Amino acid sequence: MTTRQRIDLLAHAYPRYFPRTELLRLLRTQLGHVDALDTWIQHEGIRVRASAPKLIYHICAGNLAVSAWTSLMHGLLLGAHNVVKLPSEREDSTARREILSFIRGLPSSLQKLVETHGTLDTHLLRRADAIIAFGSDATMNNLRAQIRWNQKFIAHGHAVSLLWISEPERLTSRQARACAVDILTYDQLGCLSPQAIYISSNANVEKLGHQLAHALELHWKKIKPKPARPLSVAARITEARDMAHALGHRVWLPPNKHLGWTLIHDLDSTFQPSPLHGVIYLRQVGESRVSQALASVAGRISTVGVAGKALSSRLEKAFLSLGVSRFCAAGHMQFPPLTWHHDGRPTLSDLVTWIDSESIQ
Amino acid sequence: MSPSRNFAQPVDRRAWIQKLLAPLDEPTWERLAHELFAWQFARVPAYRRLCHAHEMTPQRLNSWHDIPAVPQQLFKREKLFSHGSVRPSAIYETSGTTTGQPGRQHLLQTDIYRALSVEGARRVGLFEGNPHLHFLTPSPRETPSSSLSAMFGFWQKAARQTGPCFWLRKDKFEFAQLRETLIAQIKVRRRIAVCGTAFSFVHLLDAWADLPSLRLPRGSWLLETGGFKGRSREISKSELYAQLSQLFSVPDNSIWNEYGMSELSSQAYARGTSGLHEVPPWVRILIINPATRREVRVGQRGLVRWIDLANVDSVMALQTLEVAERTSQGFRLIGRLPKTEPRGCSLNAEDLMTNSHSLSLTS
Repeated sequence: MTTRQRIDLLAHAYPRYFPRTELLRLLRTQLGHVDALDTWIQHEGIRVRASAPKLIYHICAGNLAVSAWTSLMHGLLLGAHNVVKLPSEREDSTARREILSFIRGLPSSLQKLVETHGTLDTHLLRRADAIIAFGSDATMNNLRAQIRWNQKFIAHGHAVSLLWISEPERLTSRQARACAVDILTYDQLGCLSPQAIYISSNANVEKLGHQLAHALELHWKKIKPKPARPLSVAARITEARDMAHALGHRVWLPPNKHLGWTLIHDLDSTFQPSPLHGVIYLRQVGESRVSQALASVAGRISTVGVAGKALSSRLEKAFLSLGVSRFCAAGHMQFPPLTWHHDGRPTLSDLVTWIDSESIQ
Repeated sequence: MSPSRNFAQPVDRRAWIQKLLAPLDEPTWERLAHELFAWQFARVPAYRRLCHAHEMTPQRLNSWHDIPAVPQQLFKREKLFSHGSVRPSAIYETSGTTTGQPGRQHLLQTDIYRALSVEGARRVGLFEGNPHLHFLTPSPRETPSSSLSAMFGFWQKAARQTGPCFWLRKDKFEFAQLRETLIAQIKVRRRIAVCGTAFSFVHLLDAWADLPSLRLPRGSWLLETGGFKGRSREISKSELYAQLSQLFSVPDNSIWNEYGMSELSSQAYARGTSGLHEVPPWVRILIINPATRREVRVGQRGLVRWIDLANVDSVMALQTLEVAERTSQGFRLIGRLPKTEPRGCSLNAEDLMTNSHSLSLTS
């Protein structure tokens, strides 16, 4: 099967997630040519072709299926055989079911390239040409200790994202809705989900909070099906609310106090992780203090979504020094293009090996 | 209700202890709970803010069931002390193993904690037959910030026991000396009690792995508490009890679990691997559905909420993140909710080696 055939099959099965034009662009951007895996192409005066890994071992996160879908899409595009270590069933996540459902939705010729496992198969792990893993630092260290030196190891560790609202007093209702989309998509569980909204220190918080709360409620009403709120999730949300109340923070809650979203104005500018599931912290910080406020997550910030005018060069510089690997407009945080450099790395070209054929005279 | 009671006054504190130790019928319990709620509402600003958020005031309170509970986590962020700027005589700290930041329980005096932690243990029968007590913890003098060491110290004094009994000194277990002492006491057929955290017992098992079992005299018992907290290899509760039962030649139901925490002044006790926890009469436990903030029905799971009338100096109502099943008799403790971290895509990523589940079970 050629790359173009695999593209057609993927795009036909999942046109919304993997549109054909986007898949073609991904190949062109990262491999230089759509057919680079199938034939020799000219590159800088010589012939080159890409060689795909024969076996890719995917270790999926337990919280979010979409990262596994994308990882698997990369493996399928390359025509590799894909072993998927599934997360176990959890009360607070449907990831396992959604990954299996995704695989079932593939055409049979692509399904043949996928096998799933409930537990880690260390034999297969060591046989794999490439390993793509999502997990904690401890998990990554554990894996790294088990693999061969010449295996490609693409590790996606902890990451957080945040929103920056440039001119809170001028935030339009459309921009507020865009922020709400970023916050509530995937129940805030991904590395692209903002865990905090940062605004400048002199903004009118009360008005902004009211506006964001309104947008969150409007968007929550549109979400179907609603994300589950089992005991463990409800516990974290109510704990965050009670903590905020007791600490004297301004808290905005839904009209009937449902557990869909929670907006908390924390006077401390220092980033603190959110319990997720719709709990978002609004923090104020002067541009000169951004680096200190985010020091605890330096190197782990995936995306900064911006609502309002573009970042000042000073602010952009501060974010770059913190290792931010993606900026985008609010409302787009959760929907990066397929050509996105996940954790700053080229997703496809990281996996292939190049063969050069220079002219032989 | 006694509006003039002042919990800063020794005489009122003694009277309160007497109230709690006397038979507590439902109207009395309700009245005391209202009184303590009013005291703490008036004097603990963070608690008052929380109560206002829940639209609850002493005037609005109809039932002790409706007393708002502070999240246990709040002890790490705020000083919850009902005596303003008065200097507390004791500050107990939680281990801080989960977040690295300890929670702090401030006590004006240790009188109430002392009286009721001793009485709670006495009422479940721990002191029957006057056992010789041994503690696998540092002494209260060595770790004044440990509420557990403090309680064991109260027990030691209540038992009028002299001689060494704290077998963790300067971070080193003195297991050899403990063993010698136990062997001598076994010879004279003195009842023996060995108390410690679960992790300390694991160390003991490891240290004595190659030594013969001890045959503790009839009526002896062991008491474990506190979990492992990343300080030793972890084993299941049933395995721990089985190994302890074999090492000390005591039946399973002679091994107690103490369920308490630094933020409280009372404790619950359970016997054997599958025993249910019992609380003293001055404590009520509610198993709460966090989504509704109401009690779950019998047979359902929820979070443990303590209402501890002995917790005079901070806040009487504490919401834990411990999961329990409500039973017709009380509750069955299941385990603590796992901690959360800023993990983004890898949030809750699978523990590859153990294939762990969403709850870390204690039993």
